[in-house]
Order: sequence, then structure tokens, then C-alpha cells
Amino acid sequence: MPSNTVTYYDSDLARRPLVSELRNLWEYRDLVGLLARRDITVRYKRSSLGIWWTLLNPLATTLVLWMVFGQFFRFETPGVPYVVYLLSGILLVTFFSQAVLTSGAAIVNNSAILSKVFVPPEIFSVAAIAAATVNFALSLIPLAVIQVITGQGIPWTVVLVPIPIFFLALFAAGLGLLVASAAVFFFDVLDLTGVLLQLVSYLTPTFYPISIVPAAFVWVIYLNPLFSYLEVFRGFMYGGTAAPAWNFAYMVGSALVTFLIGVWVFSRSWRNLIAVL
Amino acid sequence: MKEFAIRALRRQVEYEQLWALLAIDLEVHRGEVFGVIGPNGAGKSTLMKVVARVLPPTEGRVRVRGSVAAMIELGAGFNGEMTGEENVVLYGSLLGRDADVVRSRVPAIAEWAGLEGFMDVPIRAYSSGMLARLGFAVATDEQPDVLVVDEVLSVGDAEFQDRSRDRIDTMMKHGTAVLLVSHDMGLIVELAGRSMFLDHGRIRGFGASPDVVRQYLPPVD
Repeated sequence: MPSNTVTYYDSDLARRPLVSELRNLWEYRDLVGLLARRDITVRYKRSSLGIWWTLLNPLATTLVLWMVFGQFFRFETPGVPYVVYLLSGILLVTFFSQAVLTSGAAIVNNSAILSKVFVPPEIFSVAAIAAATVNFALSLIPLAVIQVITGQGIPWTVVLVPIPIFFLALFAAGLGLLVASAAVFFFDVLDLTGVLLQLVSYLTPTFYPISIVPAAFVWVIYLNPLFSYLEVFRGFMYGGTAAPAWNFAYMVGSALVTFLIGVWVFSRSWRNLIAVL
Repeated sequence: MKEFAIRALRRQVEYEQLWALLAIDLEVHRGEVFGVIGPNGAGKSTLMKVVARVLPPTEGRVRVRGSVAAMIELGAGFNGEMTGEENVVLYGSLLGRDADVVRSRVPAIAEWAGLEGFMDVPIRAYSSGMLARLGFAVATDEQPDVLVVDEVLSVGDAEFQDRSRDRIDTMMKHGTAVLLVSHDMGLIVELAGRSMFLDHGRIRGFGASPDVVRQYLPPVD
């Protein structure tokens, strides 16, 4: 007996408009979960520290930067211990870079699957974002511990932290899909993205307070969308305050616009992509 | 009257200025096994991918009624670091099945593949025959309306080949349309009623399998 799913494929109707693209993501959510799990577990399957390796890098970076800028340069961050300010910034920027890079590489990395079975390709990028988000959520545990140890404490606004995380994931997904579209044709785009992400991270006040930025340059920092996400995140995570409204507006706006552009460009270019994979 | 399972009208896929397939007109019905033969690079796999929705046609139109199981490469997406069971669930989900359903089918799949007791082992420890058996067992675990088989029936030992042919026979009898790519002419004549001889993306022969096979491989005298 033929299966009861009345699927019907007609190449003429199989254009990929935005709406069906987004609906795909919902329909394939189980698969996104499985792929995210694969991305998280497989990488560290043979190591004994396992997933905790993902924490080692930001923690070690924080330790060194704390020594250099907290102790040698003596940066002051009023109202918050420097190490909390530093770690929160490092973690968020690391999350962002990892999300953009892994989702950007996801299509190329899974080309063996995509050229053999039909799956909506964007779910690989989304799964990479989900994996990065899980890693980030885990990394908030040591941050919370350090907040308690340093006496900064954990304000109730911590329950709102998923808001900036959600929008940053959306923002990263949009960029990731743009990178993924380009990376299929020019593999170099992945390396270029890595360089750009590093430059942007220096223009984000992770290890220096915004107060040391000369007035003539402040606009550069403000223009960097990552700054707004970081302000909102820091406010909720340890400040117990909400960042200025313009930060929220810039965060939500940049996330939605970038995500829709990413999905749109990706769906437009997919027909050409698949032949090259 | 003729209920079609697959209708591909002038299926064409362009790749780097080269038409991998041109002017392919084909209709395959329920319960039919259709053979595709031809030399390497003839466009056989491309044709399978177009039917399986992996490649969209550059020109022309493909219509497939019902669910498609594409065995273009067994175990696409298998990951060596993951266990047999994890791979079964992931592969089944990639084939568009419900993850929970696949999970409940793991014992049956393992049994059919003869891999009971190996499902908790990372599959990098599997032999290539074991991998092929597992891939085949997952891909054919659910009866599809259209089965695309690209040169994967020649895997495994003789016993396994017999069992996989039986499985395809059963599916056929229950109405599955099968597109079969193979270099095994004996297999084509045995399983496929009609066949197509592809060369350089064009149809060179079409009709009853024995005739088409003779066109492709003229009898030596």
C-alpha cells in the first residue's frame, strides 16, 4: 500500500518564496534539533573534556585580557567588576562569531548530503546557529558563578537574557545564510568572514569601557550593531537595567532586516547553488 | 486512465554550459521498474537527482506523485563518530521521516540489516558492507511511492543482494515505481520491464529492456 502522505512534487511549483522557506524551518524542526545535536556532540566525541572545551577558549582569553587590561592598564568599569564586564563581552562576541562562521560553512560542509537527498538546505545553517546558542547558554554558567563570587550578584532581569540572545541568533542566521550563499562559489569567503568578524569584535567594547573612546570615534562604536546587542545583554545579565531604547530598536531592527535579507538571498541563489555543490 | 507515478517532461539540467540531460521525456507508472543504463557520465545519476528533487531542472518539468525514497548513495549523512542508532535516526529524518517513528523502528532495521548488537557502536568501526546494509535497511524501511535506486544493489554479499532484491520486488508488487540505474545488465533485464539507454545526456535507446540492453552492448560474434 502506498504511504498515506499525499506528497506531490512538481518542479514548476517548487519555486522557493520566502514564506515557504520559513514554513520549512518549522516543519523540519525535529531534524534541526538532531543536526544541532550532531554538531555539538560529534566535535568532542573522542575527547574527555567534551563540550567543556567550548568554554575553555573564552575563559582563557578572559583570564589573559583581565591580566593585561584589568591589572596592567587598569581599565575602570564603574558599577561592575572588570572581570564580569570582560567575560560577558567575550562570551557574547564569541557566540556571535561562532554562529556566523559555523552557519556560513554549514552548506559547504554538508554538501555530501545536499547533493544526495532532498532537504531544505537552510536547515543546516539554522542547526549550526542552534548549536552555537546551546554552547553560549552553557557558557553563561561560569559567568553567573563569577558574578556571584565578585559580589555583583544576579539580578532578576537575568530572565530577560533570552531576548538579546534570540535577536543575536536571528542576526547571525541572516549573516550566516549570506555567507553560506557566497561560500559555495568562493570558498575564500569563509576566511574573509573570519577576518571581518575579528575586526568587528575589536570595535565592540568587550575589554575596554566605552568611556575611554574619544568623542570623535564614538559613532563608530554606536554604528556597530553588535554594541547594541551587548548593551542589552549586559543590562539584563548583570546590570539589572534595560539598555537605552535606541539600543533595543537597533537590535530588533538589524536582526529582522538581516534575517529576512539572508533568507531571501539564500532562497534566490539556491537554484544556482545546488548545481555547483 | 493511466495513473502516472512519475512524469518528467523534457527534463533538462544545465551544468557549466553543458546540458547534462536534454530532451528527456519519460513517464513511469506505479508498480513498474524502469531501468536506466549507459556509460559513465551519461547523465544517469543526474536524472535520478532531478527525479529525487535534489536538482531542480533548468528547463522542463518534473512531476512526482507520492513519496520518494532516493538511494543515490546509501547512508548520505552517516557520521562515523555517531552510533548506529544515532545514524539511523538522523538518516531516516534526512529522508523526511518522523524522528520518533524512525527511533521506534531501530530494532527492526538493525535486525533486517543483520546488525543487532552493533547499534551502540560508532559506525566508524563498521565495515563498508555493514554500512551499505544499514543504509539500505533505513532507506527501504518505509514503502515509498517512488524508489530511486542508483547502483546500490550490488553492495553486500550474495545473501544480502538476494534479500535486497526481494525487498524491492515486494515494494513493486505493492505499487512502488522503481527507477533503477545499474551497470549490471543481467539485473536490468531481470527486474526492469522497460529501460532507457542514455548517452551524453540524450536518449539513445528506449523500450523493452532486452532490446535496449542489446543496443547498449551489441552481442559479440
